[in-house]
Amino acid sequence: MANRKKAAANSGSNMKVFYAIIAVVAVVGVGAIFYAARSGGGGMATEPLEFSAEDAGALLERARGVSVGNDDAPVQMIVFSDYMCPACAHWAGRIEQMLKAEFVETGRVHYTYYDYPLGGSFVHTFVAARAARCAGDQGRFWEYHDRLLGTQSAWMYSNSTPVNQFLQMGRDLNLDMQTFESCVRSDQHAEVVTANRLLGETLGVRGTPTIFINGRQLAEWSDYDAVRAAVQAAGGA
Amino acid sequence: MDAVALSEERAGDVAPVSTVNRMAVAVLALIGVLISVYMSAYTFGVLGDIACGDGGCQIVQNSPWARFMGVPVPVIGLAGYSMLLAAAMLGVQPAFARSRAVPLVLAGGASIGLLFSAYLTYLEAFVIHAWCRWCIGSAILALLIFACVVPEFRRMRRSE
Repeated sequence: MANRKKAAANSGSNMKVFYAIIAVVAVVGVGAIFYAARSGGGGMATEPLEFSAEDAGALLERARGVSVGNDDAPVQMIVFSDYMCPACAHWAGRIEQMLKAEFVETGRVHYTYYDYPLGGSFVHTFVAARAARCAGDQGRFWEYHDRLLGTQSAWMYSNSTPVNQFLQMGRDLNLDMQTFESCVRSDQHAEVVTANRLLGETLGVRGTPTIFINGRQLAEWSDYDAVRAAVQAAGGA
Repeated sequence: MDAVALSEERAGDVAPVSTVNRMAVAVLALIGVLISVYMSAYTFGVLGDIACGDGGCQIVQNSPWARFMGVPVPVIGLAGYSMLLAAAMLGVQPAFARSRAVPLVLAGGASIGLLFSAYLTYLEAFVIHAWCRWCIGSAILALLIFACVVPEFRRMRRSE
């Protein structure tokens, strides 16, 4: 009986040691994961950068579009777009393709794309914009842009950042994946995407897509005939 | 550590059961859970990058074998280690020290875990040709856990 009491007492103290070890491992492990999440590799930038009013001017100078076509074309066309906006997918999938074939490739329109991440419920749009820029680093911006918008419904509803889908698109384009992945998972291009959005706000952009033809906002953009007429009227005939 | 657990209702007529091996399984499984959470966070984009040294983890995690039947491997690991952790934590409680279910779950889970880890290690060595340090760490854990649950096989036989 005495032995059993001693065994029970030993068991109690051993359980305390055991729980202490479990607690230490749990606390250290969870702390390490939180630390890694906050600082690992600089972290993946998923939202526009924060900036003060004093910094806005300098940031605006960092805005850069991605252009295609003849620099000296009579019609300068720019579009502000968001990768999660369905209307932008419509624009890119139908209007933009016809526009490029008829006017850009014939040297009559110089076409420039600017990111305008809407934010709000469009939670993945900033990473998507950065990923497209990462593909652009390897000269494949437009192909990646087309894939993002063409497969929009396949990734836009993901609860977590659809990094794997973004990476797969890069793989499909035979990008150098080591470089592409480290770019996507970093904060690269966060500044230029943020700057592009600021440029859009400065120009009065309130939604996407917003299109300017020689500086004038295009009112009707969903119908190709209307867009063609506007381009021709601006000198792209 | 000479840990024993006494089933309260049967303490008077049975010998104490050593639960040291279950304590060891609990600690190892907890480390496995933490590694799986870390890898899952990377898989789902919560982590920007992963501490891996030579980039092998990124190659493995972005390979077609990073998913098993459509489920990310770290999520499978998280489920497996969580199950082993829960079973081991229950198994060290006096009320469950002689439970038949605990040895079954521990022995079965550890065996499946070891086989799965062996399969993943084979893929790294001969198919992907890249080594992920966290995956190797997990494979070592699976091996240690299996070694710790060997007494559970004997308990299963005795309870038959």
